[in-house]
Amino acid sequence: MADMRVTLCGVELKNPVIPASGTFGFGREYDEIYDISRLGGVATKGLTLLPRLGNPTPRIAESHGVILNAVGLQNPGVEHFIEHDLAWLKGKTRVIANVAGSTLAEYGEICARLEGLVDFIELNISCPNVKCGGMTFGVKPESIREVTAVAKKNCPRTPLIVKLSPNVESIPANARAAEEGGADCISLVNTFTGLAIDIERRRPILFNNTGGVSGAGIKPIAVRMVYEAAKAVKLPIVGMGGITSAEDAVEFLMAGATAVQVGTANFTDTRASLAIAEGLNDWCDRHLVSRVSELTGTLKLN
Amino acid sequence: MREVTATVLENIRIAEDTYSLTFACGEEIPVRAGQFCMVGVHGYPLRRPIAVCKAEGERITVCYRLKGGGTRTLAGSYKAGEKLSVLLPLGNGFSVKEEEKRVAVVGGGAGVFPLIAAIRRYAPEKELFAYMGFRNRASVCMEYEMRRGKKLVLCTDDGSVGYKGSSVQAFMEDIGEVKPSVVLACGPLPMLRALKSAAGGRLPVYVSLEERMGCGVGACLVCVCNKTDGAHARVCKDGPVFEIGEVEL
Repeated sequence: MADMRVTLCGVELKNPVIPASGTFGFGREYDEIYDISRLGGVATKGLTLLPRLGNPTPRIAESHGVILNAVGLQNPGVEHFIEHDLAWLKGKTRVIANVAGSTLAEYGEICARLEGLVDFIELNISCPNVKCGGMTFGVKPESIREVTAVAKKNCPRTPLIVKLSPNVESIPANARAAEEGGADCISLVNTFTGLAIDIERRRPILFNNTGGVSGAGIKPIAVRMVYEAAKAVKLPIVGMGGITSAEDAVEFLMAGATAVQVGTANFTDTRASLAIAEGLNDWCDRHLVSRVSELTGTLKLN
Repeated sequence: MREVTATVLENIRIAEDTYSLTFACGEEIPVRAGQFCMVGVHGYPLRRPIAVCKAEGERITVCYRLKGGGTRTLAGSYKAGEKLSVLLPLGNGFSVKEEEKRVAVVGGGAGVFPLIAAIRRYAPEKELFAYMGFRNRASVCMEYEMRRGKKLVLCTDDGSVGYKGSSVQAFMEDIGEVKPSVVLACGPLPMLRALKSAAGGRLPVYVSLEERMGCGVGACLVCVCNKTDGAHARVCKDGPVFEIGEVEL
């Protein structure tokens, strides 16, 4: 039995496996299938100040080894979350509140609202599926620095994770911008913008036309980007992108991540996040690794 | 709701592009008529949402149409004895009230399959009238299951079997005589829209909706439908069955 605990921004997680935002709701549905307190934490569905209805359907499509989604940040709003779900979720595991805004002021306001209430705030500046906000802030280093600074000013006591988009010119430059803006941690990758076509109708499958690509097929690109980010900054990294097994998670840890998020795999296998957490323990035992945290950043290049 | 590793007992073609898959769950799982399951297909990230046709103890039968690679793989690679990952039972299912004695079921295309579960559930205790639409003779299947009620009207688009026209047309010609207290329906959107404009508001009509799904358990908010009050409902968790006036079609 390896020591599976990891410390992220001074907060201890019982293991490094966290279901990724948007794939796990606020955890209640999956808790009917297994006890989610066995996970390191839960990254909530992306929250906004006011409730959002999101995009029309279809919101999901599938391709080889990947899916595309364009939900468009449907959520009940931060107040609803605080009133109905937060206490329950906190009683289970670490809470990573994923937040998005349409303006800098909204990012500031939602961070201020969650300050001190959650274990982490994860800043979604990379949602590819909404017109205003999201991606607008997540592409250029200057705007990443600015939105991070505004967020951090409004949640000085809550560890701030900035979630980076992969649809950018330079991961190292954007990671450094988040660090300069005052981020406590970086998570990546969000989804890659993609297009899936219904060739019979000569139309995109998704109503939104494009959507975010996730799933096993993106993993090598995500691992490379996590490695680049880890080299570029001193901040801890939460790695994600196509993790479907414990071995995949080990790759991300070796590339420099302190913890990992599991997204699309939850759809393929409802128990995926738990199976990966347990499998990681087994992997450590088999490889005589006494603490999972020892794996972080141990990749040696050829 | 449970995730089980089931064993395929039978996976056979029953009509053109249509398969019947029976699997054993290893334990008895109570399934209500109109509930569905999510079937994992090797090599595909998303499970396939498929309505349950029959639930007999640990044995579950679902029927599916070949639509794309996933259903083709399901039909081609899952022979008797193969293991199958299934999440079930999902969704709310149909619920007919005690006082609703006369039940009409109106189905079209793949929409007939969840209604077979409804026929099996309600035919023994209600006066049940079934209107089931198919494309043509080659796509007709499971007629013996549909005959459990008081009346069955088979409909085909080309008239090769039974009534020529849609099941909604056939039902509306009969509605005065049948005087149903409730209607249960499932089928393509144009069919459901026709039913809504013809019968919606006159009597309770419950429709089972289809939507592309992600998680199947209500977490990912992928499979929403628009409610007439402006809100969104999750087809997988709040549905798939809704009162027809409650949703926009």
